[in-house]
Amino acid sequence: MPLTQINARAVPDGNMPLMNNTPRPVFDSEIIARYDVAGPRYTSYPAAPNFTTHFGEAEFRAVARASNEDPIPRRLSIYVHVPFCFSPCFYCGCARIITRDRGKADGYLSRLHREIELVAPLFDRDRTVVQLHLGGGTPNFLDDRQMAELVETLGQNFSLTRSTEREFGIELDPRDAGPDYVRMLGKLGFNRVSVGIQDFDPEVQAAVNRIQSVEQTRAVLDAAREHGFRSTSVDLIYGLPKQTLSSFARTLEQVIALKPDRVAAYGYAHLPERFKAQRQIDAAELPDAATRLALLGLTIQMLTSAGYCYIGMDHFALPSDELSQAQGHGTLHRNFQGYSTHAACDLIGLGMSAIGRVGNSFSQNSKDLVGYYAALDAGRLPVVRGMTLDEDDVIRADVLQRLMCNGAIDIAAFETRHRIDFAVYFASDIARLRALVADGLVLLSPQRIAVTARGRLLLRVIAMCFDAHLARARDADVRYSKAL
Amino acid sequence: MSARVAVSERLCSPRSEAQAALIAVARTSTVRGPGVGLVAEDGDEAQFCSTCAFGSVCLPYGVDKAALLELHCLVEHIGPYGPGDRIFRTGDRFDAIYAVRAGTVKTCLVDDEGREQVLGFHLPGEMVGLNAIHPARYPCDAIALDTVALCRFLFPALATLATRMPGVQQQLFRLLSHDIGKASVLAGDYSADERLAAFLIDLSARTTDHGATPPSLRLSMSRSDIANYLRLAAETVSRVLRRFQDQGLVDVDGRNVAIARPAELRNVARAMLRE
Repeated sequence: MPLTQINARAVPDGNMPLMNNTPRPVFDSEIIARYDVAGPRYTSYPAAPNFTTHFGEAEFRAVARASNEDPIPRRLSIYVHVPFCFSPCFYCGCARIITRDRGKADGYLSRLHREIELVAPLFDRDRTVVQLHLGGGTPNFLDDRQMAELVETLGQNFSLTRSTEREFGIELDPRDAGPDYVRMLGKLGFNRVSVGIQDFDPEVQAAVNRIQSVEQTRAVLDAAREHGFRSTSVDLIYGLPKQTLSSFARTLEQVIALKPDRVAAYGYAHLPERFKAQRQIDAAELPDAATRLALLGLTIQMLTSAGYCYIGMDHFALPSDELSQAQGHGTLHRNFQGYSTHAACDLIGLGMSAIGRVGNSFSQNSKDLVGYYAALDAGRLPVVRGMTLDEDDVIRADVLQRLMCNGAIDIAAFETRHRIDFAVYFASDIARLRALVADGLVLLSPQRIAVTARGRLLLRVIAMCFDAHLARARDADVRYSKAL
Repeated sequence: MSARVAVSERLCSPRSEAQAALIAVARTSTVRGPGVGLVAEDGDEAQFCSTCAFGSVCLPYGVDKAALLELHCLVEHIGPYGPGDRIFRTGDRFDAIYAVRAGTVKTCLVDDEGREQVLGFHLPGEMVGLNAIHPARYPCDAIALDTVALCRFLFPALATLATRMPGVQQQLFRLLSHDIGKASVLAGDYSADERLAAFLIDLSARTTDHGATPPSLRLSMSRSDIANYLRLAAETVSRVLRRFQDQGLVDVDGRNVAIARPAELRNVARAMLRE
């Protein structure tokens, strides 16, 4: 589809503020191209590059214990990282290990179980786990027995909730997970599944070394629905080698026909100097900047036309999905797994490279197996870096949370909550925001900051105005992928 | 750790040679306490301290300026103490009582195995150490829960003053009987709901006594401390609070607790509050 056609969809009320009813974002290719700068994804604030080695095991233990002492301590969310994959997808920037040897997982799981036994006692037993997410790598690298043991160990050491509000999700690679596997996961209590697709076009699949049929994908999604999974989600990536507007339009049609409740469409960030696997990708085959932008426009147009609500950042959901409902009620949250309906939980990260957020702290485990194994074999927690948020970080994290989830900030309520004078406290940030106001991305009044329909696709750029660490590090060598 | 006694010159400006000498003594003497400087802004010379436990002695009765200054210069302003700092320990020789100017102080008994029994929480304007008058040793530990500033009254001097100023003596008796009263209520046979409701109502009343009504209570005590004080399990404290929240009685956000429906909460607590 030509770029002009997508542009023509820019509706005239592009300056209307969001009213928590997820209006379609307005795709304005000129403005988006202008603001396509490097920046963090803000799954956390401060962003992960700000973590330091001054935060380690002792600090983590202290914040974990202190987190039990609120009048009503936060409930728990657990992320478990399974780092193994059977084969390398060339676009991948995740921490993972390629092997066909399933036995390798046993060594890893014995350390993971040890970590669970060390971490769990730090949290009082009345703190129920309402969220569990298995990510990777490829969590379905674990076979039935290994998966059952993992869930059993978690259940013995933590209070996993049995209530219907639980969100127990897992990322699946349909090339290695059949319907029986999905049924087994349902029996273990999983009720959400996130399936990697990226692109259905055979040429693109060959270029990124991930051959996966529509039928394999459908089998997993159908099995999930049959076995009581409440929400199905798929991941797409635009900007991959050999992608064209017509090939990606075909992929989007196939995806829409699969009727997933949620779709995440990420922009591919080509950073071969940082991610070894990406060196297999021929840069000459990547779509140029204009095509890349048009791919994003196409994705938004086709998904919203098919009835999906744009949630924010890379995420879309059907109106019936909890995410869309939560956004309507102003109760949406954002965390390392993207968007969530659960109010602030303390997030415990388990496994190699996993990130946690407990109290006002971030912590990250060793990013390699050697370090992860060595710590646990010595009876230590594998926390190697992190940070304690100061008061300013907490205030700014709240600004970002509100902008990214509700698309607006009620200034008076914010001032009461944090006991600040907003205009004074954020004077330099508001000065940075003025250019975005002039471009119609944000509405600014003494009462309210509101993201416009035109600004919705540039949440990351709006958020960057309020990032004090970014302002300080602007000259330092902190690299992020492009904003889109 | 020894620290300079922070006597504010503004609060106790030298008016006579005798007073100047007193201040000099206060400045050069040392007390145990980690900090220097003032963290409380609670009054001037004429008003004495708006948060002072003895403020009610001076303010309503129009105590003459000389007496006011005399009381004033008995007082050493000490602190700030940080969370977890001990103000005094069980067995320390009793020589002073303290009034909280800012922050919250926890008093507790600690047994041989290190187990704590929380005796009370002391807010700005309240006294700490009254239970030590007899037998002249502190029977408990006093621990700062957040950033705490205190007035320290040297007890022999205060006792002498009390013989000359009936208002001071009456106030001492009032404070003593209040302290004793609190302990006996908790020993009673009350439900978890009653205990927690009474705790919040009481805390809110004590907080609003000194200044404007805050929109919410900031609980500087941990839930284990609250549980220990109320003789409940920690998870019971949270379970009851969550139910109060579901019923719309309170609104809990981290350490902040807003009492949304005070009349109803007071009704839950009525049996305990009657005592």
